[in-house]
This record gives sequence, C-alpha cells and structure tokens, in this order.
Amino acid sequence: MAKIASLALVAGAVAVALAGMAQAQEVRNATKFGDMATVTQDLLNRASDDGNNFLHTNGNYAQTRFYPNRQINTGNVSKLHPAWIFQTDVKDSLETSPIVVNGVMYVTTSFDHVYALNARTGEEIWHYKQKLGPISTYCCGPNNRGVAVAGDMVYLATLDAKLVALDAKTGKPAWSTDVADPELGYSETMAPTVVNGKVLLGTNGGEYGIRGFVKAFDAKTGKLLWTFDTTPENSQGVWATTDATGRDMHRDIAAEKAAYGKNGDPYKTLGGGVWQNPSYDAASNRLFFVVGNPSPDLDGSVRPGDNLYTDSMVSIDLDTGKYVCHFQYIAHDVWDLDAVSPTVLVDAKDASGAMVPAVLHAGKTGHIYVNNRKDCSLIRFSEAMVPQENMWVLPTKDGARMLPGANGGVEWSPIATNPWAGLAYAINLHQPMTYHVENSAYPGGKLWLGGAFKVIPSEEQWGNVTAVDYNTGKIRWQVKTSQPMIGGILATAGGLVFTGEPNGTFEALDSMTGATLWQFHAGAGVNAPPSSYTVEGKQYVVVGAGGNAQIDSKRGNNIIAFTVD
Amino acid sequence: MTMRASLLACGAISLAAALLLQSGPAALAGDVEEAAAICSACHGENGVPVDKSIPVLWGQNEGYIYLQLRDFKLGNRKNVNMTEIAAGLDKPSMKQLAAYFSAKPWPNLGQPSAPHDLAVSAETTAGSAGCRGCHQENWEGDSVTPRVSGQGTQYLRETMVQFRSGERANNPWMAALLKTYTDGDIDAMARYLAGK
Repeated sequence: MAKIASLALVAGAVAVALAGMAQAQEVRNATKFGDMATVTQDLLNRASDDGNNFLHTNGNYAQTRFYPNRQINTGNVSKLHPAWIFQTDVKDSLETSPIVVNGVMYVTTSFDHVYALNARTGEEIWHYKQKLGPISTYCCGPNNRGVAVAGDMVYLATLDAKLVALDAKTGKPAWSTDVADPELGYSETMAPTVVNGKVLLGTNGGEYGIRGFVKAFDAKTGKLLWTFDTTPENSQGVWATTDATGRDMHRDIAAEKAAYGKNGDPYKTLGGGVWQNPSYDAASNRLFFVVGNPSPDLDGSVRPGDNLYTDSMVSIDLDTGKYVCHFQYIAHDVWDLDAVSPTVLVDAKDASGAMVPAVLHAGKTGHIYVNNRKDCSLIRFSEAMVPQENMWVLPTKDGARMLPGANGGVEWSPIATNPWAGLAYAINLHQPMTYHVENSAYPGGKLWLGGAFKVIPSEEQWGNVTAVDYNTGKIRWQVKTSQPMIGGILATAGGLVFTGEPNGTFEALDSMTGATLWQFHAGAGVNAPPSSYTVEGKQYVVVGAGGNAQIDSKRGNNIIAFTVD
Repeated sequence: MTMRASLLACGAISLAAALLLQSGPAALAGDVEEAAAICSACHGENGVPVDKSIPVLWGQNEGYIYLQLRDFKLGNRKNVNMTEIAAGLDKPSMKQLAAYFSAKPWPNLGQPSAPHDLAVSAETTAGSAGCRGCHQENWEGDSVTPRVSGQGTQYLRETMVQFRSGERANNPWMAALLKTYTDGDIDAMARYLAGK
C-alpha cells in the first residue's frame, strides 16, 4: 500500500496543518471503556483487562504483554492479513511499541519522530519531529521505543536526553525538560512510564561512563521530583564470588580490595543505565526495574567491587524514589551480560509451592530469573534458553570465546507471559563472540567499553523463541529461528504469541505448543515488540518493520496492522 | 599550487591562525565565516582537503566536529596544528564552527569503489565488529559519530592505524576495536569506505 497520509504534509507547516487534519478526520472510538480521549489513571490501572486499547509499552503496569482479546485466535489466525501499512519518513532501526488510545495509535521512529495514526485506517493525524541538538550519544542505533500516554499528553524521551510532552490531539509540544547532559554520554531511547502524575525515565549511557538513574518528573510541568541513582556511593557490595546461578566468576577479590582501598569507590562513572520501563506494583506502591552493565563494560580493573546496583533488579518507592531492595544477578560483570529486558510482575510459586507476588526478568545469560517481590530474593532461575560455554572465562587481550555473546540470550526485548498457563515467552540470540579487554582511562563521555566484543564470523548464528514455565523453571517448548532475535513478543488470550525476525518474518505461534500457525514477510527486519488493539469490535495486531542497527538487519519504515475479516 | 606547496601554506596559516585565535575567542565568535576561512586553508576552500592526510570537514556531523575540537583543546587528541588552533576556541565558538561546517555539502573526492573481493572482506570485518551500530547503515554516522563513507582513503587508513597504535587516544573503544584488526583489514576497510 502506498504511503497513506504523509503526502499531505508540507514541511515547515506541519503542526498547524496537522491540527486541522486531526479535526477533519473521523477517528472511530472504542466503546468498552467509554468515549475517553483522556487517559485517566483508572484507565491505566485497568489496562490488563482492557481489550480495546494498548496503553502501556508492555501492555500494563505489570508488563505482562498479555492482551486479553481473543477474537484473533488459533482457529482463525491463518486468515490474518494486512489491514493497512503506514510508511514513516524514517527508514532506520525501528523498535517502537505502538500505543493505542481509543482508536488513535502513537508510534515513534529512529531520530525521535512521533506519529499519531488512525488505528482503524492507518491515516496520519499528526507528525512530530524532535529537533535534536548537536550531541546525541547512543551506542546501538538512533532508536526510540515509543511514547507514554496519560491525561491529554503524549510523552517522548529523546536521543539528546530530553523529555518532551506533546498535546495528544495536535502533536504540539507543551513543555520540554533536560533529563541529563548528553555530552557526558546520557541519551534516551526508552519509552517513559507514567504513574500517578509522575513520568518515570531511566537512561542509556552504561557504555559511556555515566552514573545511571531513574528519575521522576511532574507529568503536568516537567519538574524533576526525585532521582534514584543506580550506582550508590558505596557500590562495593558483598564481594560475591559467584553469580545468581552459583557459578564462579573468577574474581581476584584481594586485588579488587587493594584497588578499592587505593582508588576509592568508582560510583561516579560506574554506568548502570536503565534501558527499559519499570513495572509498577500498586499494592506496595513500588517500582521494579533492572539496571544495566557497569562502565567500562569489559575492564573490571578500574571498578573494583560488586558494582552495585549494576546487573541487578531493584525495587524503589514510587512516591519518594527511595531504595527498598535489590538482587544482583552478576556482580562485577566484565562481559556486558547485563539486565535489560524489562521486569514482569506475576504471581509464582515459591520454593515451598506457595503462590507469592513475584517479579520475572529474562537475562542476557539466557536464564529467566524469578524473584520474590517482597524482599527481591531469588526464588529460582530457568534452564538456559541458549548454549552456555566457557562461563565465566575472563576477557583477554587476544579475545576469549564464551557463550552467550554480549547481546545475550535475551537483549532489551521484552518478554510476554500467559498468567493462565504460568508461561513466559522470550526471544533469544545465539551469537558466538570473543571478549577482549583493554585498559583505558575514563574518556569524558565517549564510548568506554574497556575492550571489545566481537562476533566470530566463522560460527553459525541463530535465535529462538522459548516458552518457560516460571513455576518450575523448565522449558516448555522452543522454536529455533534462522537468525538471532531482537525485538519483543506479545501473547494474547487467543492462544497465540506474535513475534518477528531480522529476515522480515512476522509470525504467530501457538502459545501452548510453539507450532507456527501464520507467517508474513514484511520486507525489512521485524525487530520491534508487537501490540494489539480493537476498534469498532475488530481486533488488530500491529508491529513495526524497520530493521535494527544493533544486529544490522535490513532497514525499512513500515508500521503494519493486521486483522481477520 | 602543488599539493606540497598547499600543505606548507596550510601549516603556515594554521600557526598564524593559532596566534590570531589566542588573542581571544570573541573574535572568532563574532564572524564564523572569517574563522572558517582559516580552517579552509587546510581542509579546503571547496571542502576538498589540500592534503590526503587531512580529513573532509564539509558535511561532517556536528557533534563529532565539536567533540574533536574539544578534545584537541583538552589534549585528548593530538595534532600540532589543531592543538594550537583549538587552544584559542571557547565552547560556543567550537559549536558555531561545528554547525557551520556540518551544514556544508559533503564533497566528492572521486575515489574509486573497492573491488568486489575487497568489499566482501571489508563487510565481513565490519559485521564482526558491529561498525554499523554507530556509523549507521550508510556509513554516514550521526551526531557524535563521524561520517566515514567518502572520506579520504589515506586519512581513513592513517586514522585506523593511529587508533590501533594508541597514537590517537580520544576514543578508547575504537582503539580497542582496531587492535583486533590486521593491516589487511585496515586497508580493505579504508578503501571500501573511501569508495562508498
């Protein structure tokens, strides 16, 4: 299908013209939750039961990515076909999670464009393009993973480390605020999360020697409310010698302690980015999120100690940003096998078999970790979803081979769950790499990896989709894919999971067996998380097909919505 | 003027420019065209550098130009001429110059495309190192990451060698990455990128 609505765009007069277009278009509204142009807190709270909208990056505050409508199901998915295709103006890495509010869809692209689309027809309502400043520092492509919606606003976080509030009806900026200094390596690619009038943001920059954080901003004004630093002033921890699975990490604790005594705590440039959205637990009024790698990635000699709270799941209080508890998966990581895939809140069996509030995280290690929400303690970890070899061999100058490679396992890709079945669905990469270490001083906001990780060209790469029983840690089913997978996955009440591959395949699998029930070839890498929504009683599944910079899959610029007639 | 004569002139002007700029950054901030003319003595009046060891500046990414000027001033990147010049620049002046040159069109140096076997070799090297993750699919970079497509072959080759040896030390990631490259890898990458 041709580019639908951008033909009407005239450069320079975009906002004004589009405001008019928005009024002229007929956007047919969903019905179940009423005629709600305004996204209330109540609507956001009840998103897990909302079969019309898709209001959160990962579906709901628990981030289950489980969509409750079953109109598209195992019985009719073979008839799924494109309802419309919207072509954006940006043909580059596409990681957006489409958000749908009452028949209006919001998607983003690389370089921080935002589009409001008619979710039924794909027609453009407005288009906002962030005017980026001269300094945008990002390690892994000019990505943006989407917007947050609340009230009458759409919130965008940008590559040059700003938070922007747009009028949901017109796309005009209401306010903009600086999140951090991009010259020091801070940037934003994540979608914000909005809870109770607070816009929550983490930061990129773990590859640049930042000091990571989660910040809360006032949703109405953009005023900073609190900051939680992900690297505390005392980051040494307990000098753990094993990872969460009990394997020896070959640390030289004596040498580290000597360096710590000599040089002091490295917290100021220790990294600890937060790549993805937090989960919000209303019962405890707490946030749960994961913190990424320490800086520099591969050279531990300049950052002695456990490097708290890198490679950890952390829980903090929503109102104050104060620390509650944490669990570190890997202390003193020197492989960049950090924690990036967003947390998911489910009820799961503890060691005694009792159901407890739990939090899931899929690691780059290839394990899904199940922790107790109450005190962050580990309940179990799953079988490894990808091959693990030579763990934890230390990086060397000439390169040491270890599996998984530095992309994982599970990268930033959100997992999905089916709470009815107790299953978590994850997409994985298998990319054999060598890990090289090089010592260098903090370079003032430049890429600071402390070495390099390199794909071994002669070795086969592949991926898989894996279903894990999080009550036992056992793999229920696994489907191998021809290429490593980055993007995300969606589960639905129709007994399906949807996910995409770098070769352009978008597919529906039976959520109980992994059987492939439907495939579509999008022409560019499908490396974005799918969403689903319903307009006028008809369910759609939507996904971005624009490729990915990190794994260099074929670029494109398509947002594709599918339905069944 | 021959290339050698141009280079000598470029060096002489750089020293004169350094003296001029050290009289105060306000002089530069007042007239970016005038200051840019000083740069053009080496980087070329039409965007084509006067010597093959000097990089193309026209059309280069704004953030990258700014950070290099900053690093020359801080001593993190070393070059006799540029260190002198950057010493007289303040932050707003650096940003002005960066914006000025990034807005210029990238010049065509007329360099040949790499032969097929060399291109395949370069692609394998680039894929292994994940170069496009920063330099983008079209090798034009963005913001603080430089455009490398169409850059001068000799400059590209020398820069990679300098990263590998540690002579250029203002990007440890590039230094670490280049340490895993052979001479053949570097030559293939330089010729491949120059011909893009």
